[in-house]
Amino acid sequence: MAKPDRNLRNFCIIAHIDHGKSTLADRIMELTGQVSKRDMEEQLLDSMDIERERGITIKLAPVRMYYTALDGQEYELNLIDTPGHVDFTYEVSRSLAACEGALLVVDATQGVEAQTLANVYLALENDLEIVPVINKIDLQSARIDEAKKEIEDVIGLDTEGCPCVSAKEGTNIRDVLEAVVNRIPPPDGDTDAPLRALIFDSYYDNYKGVILFLRVKDGTVKTGDKIKAALGEKVYEVTEVGAFAPYLQPKTRLVAGEVGYLAASIKSIEDVSVGDTVIDAAFPDTVPLPGYKKVQPVVFCGIFPLDGSKFLDLKDAIAKLKLNDAALTFEPDNSVALGFGFRCGFLGLLHMEIIQERIEREFNLDIITTAPSVSYLVHKTDGTLLHVDNPSHLPPVSEIDYMEEPIVKTEIYSPPEYMGSIMDLCRDKRGTFRNMSYLDANRVKIEYSLPLNEIVYDFFDEIKSRTKGYASFDYEIEGYEKSRLVRMDILLNGEICDALSTIVHEDRAYVRGRTLCENLKDAIPRQLFEVPVQAAIGGKIIARETVKAVRKDVLAKCYGGDITRKKKLLEKQKEGKKRMRKIGTVEVPSEVFMEILKTNRDK
Amino acid sequence: MAGIYVHIPFCRQKCTYCDFTSFPNRLAFAEAYMACLYKELEMRGKELEKAKKDVVFDTVYFGGGTPSVIDPKLIYGAMNQIKQHFALSKDPEITIEMNPGTVSEQKIETYLKAGIDRFSIGLQTAIDAQLENLGRIHHVRDYLYCTSLLKGQNFSADVMLGLKGQTKEDVEKTIKIAAASGASHISMYALTPEDGTPIYTDYLNGELPSPDEVASLYDFGRELLKTEGFSRYEVSNFAKKGKESRHNLNYWRRGEYLGFGVSASSFFFGRRFTNTFDLDEYMKCVISGFYPVIESEEVAEQDAKFEMLMLALRTSEGISSRKYREVFQSDWKEDFKEAYQKTKKYLHEAGDRTSIKDEFLYVQNQILTEYME
Repeated sequence: MAKPDRNLRNFCIIAHIDHGKSTLADRIMELTGQVSKRDMEEQLLDSMDIERERGITIKLAPVRMYYTALDGQEYELNLIDTPGHVDFTYEVSRSLAACEGALLVVDATQGVEAQTLANVYLALENDLEIVPVINKIDLQSARIDEAKKEIEDVIGLDTEGCPCVSAKEGTNIRDVLEAVVNRIPPPDGDTDAPLRALIFDSYYDNYKGVILFLRVKDGTVKTGDKIKAALGEKVYEVTEVGAFAPYLQPKTRLVAGEVGYLAASIKSIEDVSVGDTVIDAAFPDTVPLPGYKKVQPVVFCGIFPLDGSKFLDLKDAIAKLKLNDAALTFEPDNSVALGFGFRCGFLGLLHMEIIQERIEREFNLDIITTAPSVSYLVHKTDGTLLHVDNPSHLPPVSEIDYMEEPIVKTEIYSPPEYMGSIMDLCRDKRGTFRNMSYLDANRVKIEYSLPLNEIVYDFFDEIKSRTKGYASFDYEIEGYEKSRLVRMDILLNGEICDALSTIVHEDRAYVRGRTLCENLKDAIPRQLFEVPVQAAIGGKIIARETVKAVRKDVLAKCYGGDITRKKKLLEKQKEGKKRMRKIGTVEVPSEVFMEILKTNRDK
Repeated sequence: MAGIYVHIPFCRQKCTYCDFTSFPNRLAFAEAYMACLYKELEMRGKELEKAKKDVVFDTVYFGGGTPSVIDPKLIYGAMNQIKQHFALSKDPEITIEMNPGTVSEQKIETYLKAGIDRFSIGLQTAIDAQLENLGRIHHVRDYLYCTSLLKGQNFSADVMLGLKGQTKEDVEKTIKIAAASGASHISMYALTPEDGTPIYTDYLNGELPSPDEVASLYDFGRELLKTEGFSRYEVSNFAKKGKESRHNLNYWRRGEYLGFGVSASSFFFGRRFTNTFDLDEYMKCVISGFYPVIESEEVAEQDAKFEMLMLALRTSEGISSRKYREVFQSDWKEDFKEAYQKTKKYLHEAGDRTSIKDEFLYVQNQILTEYME
């Protein structure tokens, strides 16, 4: 049995948002001469516009580097970037499976954050060697020793001799590389065994077809080889293999232990799924590598084109995004108010926002999105069970025996002074208190079980505003719980607007209905006639507001010199109208469909 | 029938709401400017003659700025020029706008000699404090003096709505004074705060009445005008029987007109064109024998159709199917079928004519936009 190259290291970086992960990655690449400073765009790994703007990483972006260590030997390093946000835990687990070690970047001014922890535990589960790195030591408020103590107390990692760096200023970056070389083990595997390579990501390229991101565990693969996916049927001939430099750089072969890419004229991403194993077509019985836990979307919303004729463009856009985003799900949806569109499933709210933004930016489409929802379990009186994530698909009350809603286990980390406020909020959101513990004098961990549908509503914003942004939190699905849920409809001028229907807890319906009617009253422009805005459960009206008829909408003067200009004013007004949706006789701007997310406090 | 518009871009001081082309500090240029205007009249007149265009002009309108601020002889001269180069109808309507702070007996005498038979007086409001806020140079007593000089003449008064602090009582007082002064025509405009004018600041600070409040003032004013014997014949215009402004009706009937002077617009030969807004450029052009036109567009048929509707629906006479067919050889209810069906309930139909129902005239943009592509 031949072992892989002893001088190979595959690692990733785990960090909380803005703890400096991308900056550190940039410095490492700079130091290894991977990219000359001049050519380097700020934060090279975050290649999507949205990523760079928001300072977050969504897609995995591997890069290969060479480093001559203090022991005089040259090492090949493969850095696989990971997303920092809790929504993308799935992506993280994929990159972890391709590595032997992880750098845990901790901000010396902030300490360990909740979201980081989730990923650390994932890494530990994957038997990765974790190397803590204290970052931002250049800042005045840096408290290096406290950060180290926190790492030891909270995670239980030894911080003895861990690198303390300033990625921003490039201080002590070599320490990091030495730690990678000395502490992270070289890959395991058998280079003589039949090929087994884990697909940890993929994307579609217009010229080469699907590009698979691989971590070769056993064997080798080269151009001309016949391969197949363990779970697929089709056999492909490899057209290209290579490394990430960080752009695709062809090479003759990929050997066990290495990270790289493979192209084989694969037509569709659906043919070979992420998490599957690439094997030699001559050995179809090769045991596949353990894949990933298939993630289920937890947040759902409807996405509709603003201009109904753009449905096919939207379909195309979502399908393209799906190519590179295994976690995104979608199926056709049809709304009376919004026409044809898609019901999409996401990992979380941020994931949802990002997909919406990408559709608008990268595909230049104006879209309307409906309020986020979760997936409910509906037990019908006839004994059947339904999963309902779209309020309009809820069966009539008479057919429902009872319903269950998803409950999440939430861990909230906060300075102790906000504890009372956080607990009030959780109680408000129908939470059940589980536990509370002091991590140190300045941080408390509060655990609650909360209905997910309360979290997708406005929990994020609330918790940030109540703690001046100091608290962080993380959640995971705990299970389903029986709950008194009802569908609340919104009627505009007497007609139900299906896109505004929501499933709410019975006790919250009245307040939610009133707030929503008030918000809608302000968001719906006044029309030629009075428009009643009502919230109803079943046939019963629970709240009502009125959009008064418009009283003045006229060009005061229109004489000889005005005609062209006034016509333009009308055209402008018409443009605004075109962007509206017609619900029965009422014209409604598209933003209205997001009003449901706003709370009283916003006003 | 066609109209002639003459723009006099001078005034003593700029009003706080004014975004018209006027130059408060350049009165000294008036003579030179008018000389250019005479030349422009002559150029256009000769052009028509050459093209053998037999157009009869039924109205002349001196607008501004403040036409009454310049030497009345210059107005007289302009009228001479017009009579010399254009065919006027037998009984033309010739109007001049006047600021009550700039009139004199001698001025009015000269205007009458020039053939002017209609006066449009900018009263705006009968509350002096509001006049000052508007930057008007006159007081209510000036208006009263001015109209006393116009005894027996046909004149109109301008009234504004939506002024800072304006109440129903203020509007009542204003309309009553206008009516009592002998006006046969009243224009009642809602103030439009334009970006760039001083009053826009008041608007931004929420110091002007809200659109709903303006609508209330308007409804109140409209009722009062009715009892005073003025009927609404256009969104902002009210007249005693037979005293409607022929010049303005021509605009709304989409009739032809020629505009002269800086910033003046024309609709002629199927084109809309506009003169330069720059006084010096205007004069330079005309002196060199060029038209000072900076913008000229032929109105495409679909635009023309919409224009006719948009303008006609401002008036109580509304749109005439017969006239529309004469111009476009089609039926407007067919051309705008969908919009017509949709808005039918807001329309009043009387034989050949369709107009917007009284109660919806002041929200007509909502209806008009349905008729746009």
